[in-house]
Amino acid sequence: MTAPQVFRVRRIGGTISTDDIIPARYKHMYTDPAQLAPHLFEAYQPGFVDMLEPGDALVGDEIFGIGSSREQAVTTLLASGLRLVLAPRFGRILFRNCWNLGLPAIEVDTSALPDGARIEVDLRQGEVRCAGAVAVRFGVPPAFLLDMVDRGGLLRVVESSLAREK
Amino acid sequence: MSRTRLPAASGGSPLRAGSPLVDQIITSHLSDPPDGSTLAAGGSSVAVGQLVTVRPDHVYVQDGNAPTIAKLYAEHGFDSVFDPARVSFVFDHSVLVADVEMADRMKEADAFASRLGVDVQSRGRGISHVIAAELGWFTAGSLVLGSDSHTCVGGAFGSLGLGMGASDITAAMVTGTTWLRVPETVTVELTGAPHRSVRPRDVLLTMLNRLGQEPFLYRSVEFAGDWARALSSDSAASLASLGVELGAKCVFIADADGLVPAGTAPQAQRITFDLESVEPVVSVPHLPANTRPLSEVAGTRIDYVFLGSCTNSRLEDLAEAAQAMVGHRVREGVQFVVTPGSIGVYRDAVRSGYVETLMEAGAVVTPPGCGSCVGTQGPLPARGDNVLSTMNRNFRGRMGNPAANIYLASPTVAAMASVLGAIPAPQELP
Repeated sequence: MTAPQVFRVRRIGGTISTDDIIPARYKHMYTDPAQLAPHLFEAYQPGFVDMLEPGDALVGDEIFGIGSSREQAVTTLLASGLRLVLAPRFGRILFRNCWNLGLPAIEVDTSALPDGARIEVDLRQGEVRCAGAVAVRFGVPPAFLLDMVDRGGLLRVVESSLAREK
Repeated sequence: MSRTRLPAASGGSPLRAGSPLVDQIITSHLSDPPDGSTLAAGGSSVAVGQLVTVRPDHVYVQDGNAPTIAKLYAEHGFDSVFDPARVSFVFDHSVLVADVEMADRMKEADAFASRLGVDVQSRGRGISHVIAAELGWFTAGSLVLGSDSHTCVGGAFGSLGLGMGASDITAAMVTGTTWLRVPETVTVELTGAPHRSVRPRDVLLTMLNRLGQEPFLYRSVEFAGDWARALSSDSAASLASLGVELGAKCVFIADADGLVPAGTAPQAQRITFDLESVEPVVSVPHLPANTRPLSEVAGTRIDYVFLGSCTNSRLEDLAEAAQAMVGHRVREGVQFVVTPGSIGVYRDAVRSGYVETLMEAGAVVTPPGCGSCVGTQGPLPARGDNVLSTMNRNFRGRMGNPAANIYLASPTVAAMASVLGAIPAPQELP
């Protein structure tokens, strides 16, 4: 949902590929995100998944989500409780997959957002607030993407447009 | 040599010089915009940043995503595709399945494809991006979606090939449309002529190493210049496959016949890249951008060599490797695995004697497909193995074992590494 919300920051460093997020073999083994979730960042940062709480925001510092098109990277992030991703840059396919699945992905300078901080993010104003002050601003995402998230993701939108045609 | 061997797709228009190729293809495939409004009559051009809806000519699904797409269909109550003749399922990542969970998923995918009545390219036919060119899905001016990031191979043939995730592909299969943001175009003018040992992958990965992804991220990258225009189909496809490693949305590669008139970006968005300064490179663990000149890493121990993937599994690649192996043998204790990109490549390589040369030298030639590229089928590297592979990515764990180190290089370097059990020095190349 795109109303202003408070998140806890969980930082992860470096340029991160979707292979780092979830190794390919698991997506060939499982279609249930709950079975994928324990393997999040398994080789990249063992133990990271155990530090997550439902509703956390994942905050990167380089390019997030380069490489493979696997949207299982995003379903795994969601199944691990993450509800927002902030990074300076994104891989384009992962960026699409995030929005399509209802996980807002925001291109923003994340240098002022320390690990563990509580941040309030207002997607429709383009603001990240921390301790009552604006920590950083970002370009407001297109209404098309925000509305898609509010409607439950791309396939819910397709469902309702098919229902309208019938 | 004509690169695009087939006529332009019926839905596409022939490409012309002077305006960005991605804009031309998007414009010729426009549908109603995503905000629910309808297109203005005569609305014939698109602007950078605009969100549009387009109708693809073809949609293909690889087997790693087919089971997830089957699940999404069931969850959302979908039961058909927009046109069964224009949707293909390609079984390439899991050809020889050695895992019970995967076997069950492949069975679900087979049943799903059969229920939908779509075109099926079954196990052993080859890699989706290789057969997409052979079967004419990639043609100048066509728009093709694939559920795999290396769909950008299409740009070698003038096709706008876009890799997408399972939900995007599901939506496209159901509605026959997808949403796009019109990207900026950047032209890379490749100047000069490199040494003959320099292959397309050396050029692109050297460029990535020197410039980073920033100049290319989200953009349509058009490669121009005499070297690009002279590339064979196999070389152009190899170059285009690496577009996603640059971070590009799509790539186009100029050809000799003007079917792909790449190089249309305005002056401010042109990069000149000098090929004279490029030498054969190896990407060291764990990023493709970590290139080192061959001379710097020569002598590094190699335990396992893989020749294959949508970057280097075509006839030209097998020919290069076979020529390098003449008079040599794979070193004792090293395994050399060769996976042709398609059944057509395999057949041609048998007829040309390349397969015999490779087998006699001690290589193992497997059925066509993605092979060992992504750890979904064997052989997996052992812990501590140093692997030299011709694939496109060396992310940690890519081949199914995070305790292996993956180095990337061209087919000739790979073949010589299997002989030496080590990365060859430039003077050890044939």
